[in-house]
Amino acid sequence: MRTASRIASLVILALVFFGQAAGLRAQQPADEEGRSRFRTIDIFVDSRSTPLAAYQIKFAATNGVVKIVGIEGGESEAFRQPPVYDPKAMQQDRLIIASFSTASASALPKGKTRVATIHILVSGKTEPQFELKLQTAGDSRGRKISAQATFEERKTP
Amino acid sequence: MTHFKFLRASLPILASRNRLKLLLSGGAVAGLFLLLLLQGCAKAPCSLTGLPASRPGMAPSFLGGDGLARCGVPLPPVGTEEIWVVARGDRSETDISDKTPGSGALMAKIEHKEVPMPLKHTDVHASVSGYLGSVEVIQQFHNPYSSKIEAVYVFPLPHNAAVNEFIMTIGDRRIRGIIRERAEAEQIYQEAKRQGYVAALLTEERPNIFTQSVANIEPGKEIDVTIKYFQTLDYVDGWYEFVFPMVVGPRFNPPGSTNGIGAVARGQRGVSRQNREVEYLRPDERSPHDISLKLEVEAGVPIEQSECRTHQVISEAVSPSRMAVSLNPVDNLPNKDFVFRYRVAGDRIKSALVTHRDERGGFFSLMLYPPQEMKELRRQPLELVFVLDCSGSMFGRPLEQAKAAIERGLGLLQPGDSFQLITFSITASQLGAAPLEATPENVQRGLRYLRGVRSEGGTMMIEGIKAALDFPHDPRRLRFVCFLTDGYIGNEIEILGAIHQRLGASRIFSFGIGSSVNRYLLDHMAKEGRGAVAYLGLKENAAPIMEAFFQRISHPAMTEVAVDWGGWHVTEVFPRELPDLFVGRPVILTGRFAGGQDTTIRVNGNAAGRPLQVLIPATLRDARATHSALPGVWARMKIADLSQQLVHAPDPGLPEAIKKVALDYSLMSAFTAFVAVDSSRQTEGAKGTTVPVAVPVPEGVNYDTTVEEK
Repeated sequence: MRTASRIASLVILALVFFGQAAGLRAQQPADEEGRSRFRTIDIFVDSRSTPLAAYQIKFAATNGVVKIVGIEGGESEAFRQPPVYDPKAMQQDRLIIASFSTASASALPKGKTRVATIHILVSGKTEPQFELKLQTAGDSRGRKISAQATFEERKTP
Repeated sequence: MTHFKFLRASLPILASRNRLKLLLSGGAVAGLFLLLLLQGCAKAPCSLTGLPASRPGMAPSFLGGDGLARCGVPLPPVGTEEIWVVARGDRSETDISDKTPGSGALMAKIEHKEVPMPLKHTDVHASVSGYLGSVEVIQQFHNPYSSKIEAVYVFPLPHNAAVNEFIMTIGDRRIRGIIRERAEAEQIYQEAKRQGYVAALLTEERPNIFTQSVANIEPGKEIDVTIKYFQTLDYVDGWYEFVFPMVVGPRFNPPGSTNGIGAVARGQRGVSRQNREVEYLRPDERSPHDISLKLEVEAGVPIEQSECRTHQVISEAVSPSRMAVSLNPVDNLPNKDFVFRYRVAGDRIKSALVTHRDERGGFFSLMLYPPQEMKELRRQPLELVFVLDCSGSMFGRPLEQAKAAIERGLGLLQPGDSFQLITFSITASQLGAAPLEATPENVQRGLRYLRGVRSEGGTMMIEGIKAALDFPHDPRRLRFVCFLTDGYIGNEIEILGAIHQRLGASRIFSFGIGSSVNRYLLDHMAKEGRGAVAYLGLKENAAPIMEAFFQRISHPAMTEVAVDWGGWHVTEVFPRELPDLFVGRPVILTGRFAGGQDTTIRVNGNAAGRPLQVLIPATLRDARATHSALPGVWARMKIADLSQQLVHAPDPGLPEAIKKVALDYSLMSAFTAFVAVDSSRQTEGAKGTTVPVAVPVPEGVNYDTTVEEK
């Protein structure tokens, strides 16, 4: 009898535990689906030893629901102003941004520099993947230069 | 000079004092044409507000010790919540005896009646080239309280402003806002606000009324919002006119309406039951919000004369054709329109064409002046209907000015003319059952009637429209209907629709009376009424405005105006229906063109049965000079045209069409909005409370007769 009541208690406990866990599991996807989160993506251009005077970049999410909600300028004074964007591309939430500086070569950034920051809103469960393409870059004399663009998601506090 | 050329075009073309076109060699990639803003954003040092008095029934709690003098102060309740904040300040003067009901036991320096506001300063930089203006407006928000706030500011811009740039500045970080469908932008903003991110949203309530919302401003922090727009200047009787409106006048909304613009006392949100409200400071209150303004004019030809009757300005002639004007700092209260006018050498005035071509094609703007011969033609007898707004907002000086203008008008009538006087507020009344012959006796009768008019009550303008347009037309006379009003109503669409339906053979001339008139309504009444508009400030002499009007209508208008564009293929010209041309009143046409050759544009029409023609050489010799504002100006005119169609015959496809133009050209509209979010950091603390920016009633407007209080 005592054993039976112990078993019954365990069953009840198990039911309660798994029931709650099942409830949590069932609840979690619904929360995830409805959750929107803001993310910050830093865009870098590495022009190596050549001073960077201009760039044009294409940036897009390859999956997930991503909306661009702000475009910020870069770290160097030469690119502090927020870049301009192509409004037609923006309507598909693709980003084509460009910026330039007429500062002298000595005032332009070299090496890897953050040229812009993209503020985005991600909706849904899927974690977005991004693609970035440097369409062109130039030096202070208007010549096309070899450079590399990368992006990093900023860890927000 | 360094040149780059970016490929693939269609980035927005932005106005800037420092514009550069860059050309990148070896362009295998597509090209992008860039114009970039290089100016920074001036920031005024933060000034903390004074200490408030206590909430009635609550003991003040001054804590001090950390540089903050504190006191519990209620902000206006948000829904059912009541959120308490602590005013920050470097002053501790309070008058806790101030128990004025509704004064909120106020977060104010009572002795100065200065009310802390989240909007500290507005800085305006404008430049005019020819008749195209480019304006940058910087609104400097701050949080003078000790908990987070959302600032909401309802403010005016010119109704023809093509707003195409929006930047939020936090410290030295500048975040460009994105143009989006309005509902989507609002959702993004609300989500950012809910999650504690700093965000800004710009929406359009009317073509000349906008709402700026800035969420999660932390205590002591500043956030600037920069708005840029293009506009065309008006040309009025020989003067170019640059107008910058500074405050929204208190609007009357017909009973039962909810989509108007309510006018309520500070802290009394919801009283008007309108979707959008403007809160007004009481007469004994003053906000620390002030304004500075700089204007540069490059007329292209020598400037003969200039004046600013609305404000004290400091002017400098940089060259014969160039002026620099700034608002005198002693005149920095934003409570009336800034109006600067300049006249160029008379013999230089002629129809002018400017063009711009980019990857989207050609754009042009044509300022079409009436032919000189029109001045030789005489007019027919007139049937003149004066319609006077005598609602509460016209109380005092505005009504006096309107009466003075009508009095002068009655004196200018000629034998053979007839006239009628109609007044309206809640209802309309009139001098006689039918227009009276303009005999000396009848004119005296009219003057007596006019002198007896008093202002009170709401502005049921529809009653005035019906009374003025719903009686049989006398075919022997030209009927001109003159509306004299401040235009302070919230149902503009209803009024414009009624004019469109009832106009018939009448022509409407609207006269805006006051310091901060609803120019969108007045301009569009004249446009719908195929007439013209004029404005009379409170400090101006009323007689000349009526004399100029009579001068204008003393010659027949050029009607049935048609344009032959010569060798150009021209499309989408706005306004779609060419208005009649009146002496001294050019019209601006904006359109798109294809064709790379010089041509001659021929404008044909009739005046008093006589055919007239204007020839305008269209040369592309200045094709290298970009008028980069033109695509935005054209797109704004297209949006205005589509919006006007929406008034006349609502078509479910029109909002979509407006949205598309606005998104393609990065422009504000009723269906698009700018949003900017700083996703890099979530602010701390509880949900902020919403603080509307209360504004003064416009100069000369009576608070008691216009602003709703509980």
